[in-house]
Amino acid sequence: MIRLETDILILGSGGAGLFAALHAKAGAPEASVTVAVKGLLGKSGCTRMVQGGYNVAVGPGDSVERHFLDTIEGGGWINDQDLAWKLVETAPARVRELENQIGCFFDRGPDGGLHRKAFAGQSFDRTVHKGDLTGIEIIGRLAEQVWARDIRRLEDHRAIALLPDAAGAALAGVLFIDMRSGDFTLVRARAVLLATGGGPTMYRYHTPSGDKSCDGMAMALRAGLPLRDMEMVQFHPTGLLAGPGTRMTGTVLEEGLRGAGGWLLTGGGERFMLRVDDRAERATRDIISRTMIEEIRAGRATPHGGLYLKMAHLGPARVRAEFKGMVERCADCGLDLAGGLVEVIPSAHYMMGGVVFAPDGSTALPGLFAAGEDTGGVHGANRLGGNGVADSTIFGGIAGDTMAAWLRDASGFREPDRDLLDQAAGRALAPLHRNGAGRLADLRDRLATLMWDKVGILRTGRDLADAEAALADLGAELAETGAGSASPAYNPAWHDWLNLENLILVSRAILLAAQTRQGSRGAHYRCDFPEPGDLAASSYTEVRLQGEVLTAANRPVRHTRVRPAQETGR
Amino acid sequence: MTAGEVITVTIRRGGEHGAPVPVDFRVPITGDPTVLDLVTAIQRDQAPDLGYRFSCRVGMCGSCAMLVQGRPRWTCRTRVSLVARRGRLDLAPLPGLPVVKDLAVDMAPFFEKWAAAGGGFRPCESGDAVLALVAPESPARRNADAAIECIGCGVCAAACRVAGAEPGYPGPAALNRVWTLVNDVRDADGPRRLAEVAGPGGLFTCHSQGACTACCPKGLDPSRSIAGLKRAAVLAALRGEP
Repeated sequence: MIRLETDILILGSGGAGLFAALHAKAGAPEASVTVAVKGLLGKSGCTRMVQGGYNVAVGPGDSVERHFLDTIEGGGWINDQDLAWKLVETAPARVRELENQIGCFFDRGPDGGLHRKAFAGQSFDRTVHKGDLTGIEIIGRLAEQVWARDIRRLEDHRAIALLPDAAGAALAGVLFIDMRSGDFTLVRARAVLLATGGGPTMYRYHTPSGDKSCDGMAMALRAGLPLRDMEMVQFHPTGLLAGPGTRMTGTVLEEGLRGAGGWLLTGGGERFMLRVDDRAERATRDIISRTMIEEIRAGRATPHGGLYLKMAHLGPARVRAEFKGMVERCADCGLDLAGGLVEVIPSAHYMMGGVVFAPDGSTALPGLFAAGEDTGGVHGANRLGGNGVADSTIFGGIAGDTMAAWLRDASGFREPDRDLLDQAAGRALAPLHRNGAGRLADLRDRLATLMWDKVGILRTGRDLADAEAALADLGAELAETGAGSASPAYNPAWHDWLNLENLILVSRAILLAAQTRQGSRGAHYRCDFPEPGDLAASSYTEVRLQGEVLTAANRPVRHTRVRPAQETGR
Repeated sequence: MTAGEVITVTIRRGGEHGAPVPVDFRVPITGDPTVLDLVTAIQRDQAPDLGYRFSCRVGMCGSCAMLVQGRPRWTCRTRVSLVARRGRLDLAPLPGLPVVKDLAVDMAPFFEKWAAAGGGFRPCESGDAVLALVAPESPARRNADAAIECIGCGVCAAACRVAGAEPGYPGPAALNRVWTLVNDVRDADGPRRLAEVAGPGGLFTCHSQGACTACCPKGLDPSRSIAGLKRAAVLAALRGEP
């Protein structure tokens, strides 16, 4: 086992991780800062995949208060309002920092100022962007700033356990697998940021990058931390449906296609959203996704089991000009988005839930901080498009500041609990010495089908009970399955196994939270409890792991800044 | 290649320390797969420990590039039916970078060159209270936009013979980034960056063969960017600027 020490250790290299690294280094220039990532720096993860943009209240007539109310209403009144306020309040300064310090060059309007586009669920055009590839601009610029600084990189390093000291008083370090050699690396740190991103890839159709597997949330659960709002999984209505054998299936065709006037059609070529919502295809993501599933279940699906997206009536030339990236992506799959029909399906996109944390980035475990999609509470029951990359860059930066300040008061390096370390290493090594790689892909398929069918967009108590038993079976089966190759060096099957273990654990947390919330809010819809319940008496769910058992509780939401009754005065 | 056929995929396997060995895999084709889908199928069904990289699956992250039939390409957006010949497909890791294992490379040298060439924005001292006003159709914006959408996939550097032969040469991606910054009116150094890349082993090492532009999956034109840098550097020299 290799042992390393760093003052500040950051897990993840998306918007949260890289921003934290830059702020930590700026706040504590003498401190050693290390970014660890399970792939390549800046390339793994989802910030890079952001198409839409970044919500910020900077336009004339817009205000932080309006942005805040949109975020709370969108979140079904279960957001932690202090977190949501921190988001909207910090966004203007963070966008200026991205432009003036990091070098992002966002698109401009005719007056030369930031161009802002309209996004669903918002009372004002406030989404700043770089074409339809905003995430590439943000991550590209952030990564080159990190490369230019004295920040250590641990690429191809997969974190497998957050290790407290023997007294359990504070986090002492993180155990990694150096994926290239297969050796364990123990990194002791005085402050650790959990910023690995979420990524609901346990669903048959999903949009996040393929290497996402909820590693951060799984590690947090095992470390005893509470996760909130885990039932809140956002589905994007227009995931590409290109057949079962290709990784392209599930990837997002951007929201702007519907915004521009695209139609959704049944397999028989009929528009259906008009029947449900006056806004038709421009309704919010949750309404469209639910209606799509109802159409599919009613037997009006396309050959691959989805629905059609049609753009041709807007004029193929216009579609090609305005949505070049999407048209090219479809063309690479042999599909004609501009002139023909493309099959789509709602695709699991984002997890609103995650680790309970404070506005300064701290968690219940001293020495552990969290930011980005690993956390819960900012977005409540539903995230607005454009608030995701704002979340990761804002809270990542704040956590970097907090960790730099924390070093001034924190004690020295701690020694991780030896027993926990040995257990984590033993658990990770076990699948290397068992056979059965062929079954891994099958297990993953079955998990994806189970979560899609029973814990997906339309939920019932009966389906959830079925899924609970089936998930337990899948977990037991995984424990009997091996990687199929005993070679530890850069062995994708070994990491697939570890991904699956995390996905099953976090799936159990989603399921338990979905059972616990007997009502429908935002992304969570219970066919047997379709009403949202009293907004003023809102609660949020909290899930913990104790031993091997998950427990859940409903906790009251404190409406610290605005109460539902005040909403109408707007 | 169409569904139902069996394709023979030759993968150059090996790690950093072992000589690479070509290994054949026979894979039944289902649907209209991408090269990445095929590699995934081989890893899942035949070679669990086959090393390869991917992340985003849709041409945004730039981690899945490799040599496909001898030419550097993204594998996530390359359909097998367009590149396979006579039922065969040849795959090898991206050249010019250390092989981690099989098809996976270490891209650190690529980004180290990017950083060494000054490929990072440098803020002005004036603080961050206001944003620069830059009209969308202004020459300043159009010039900065021309080469901005690079995702750092390494395909151009792998295609470039000069980059392969001259270890000190920054390569097309890094120089493309520098050209974007030279044209960025918000950058503190702007045209002063020319001197940093115009020295021996720098941008004049480029032979203008255009392989970078021919292979760029984003349709960018690094060759034109380097030509722009050369022109600007020559003009600066004529004016007697450092």
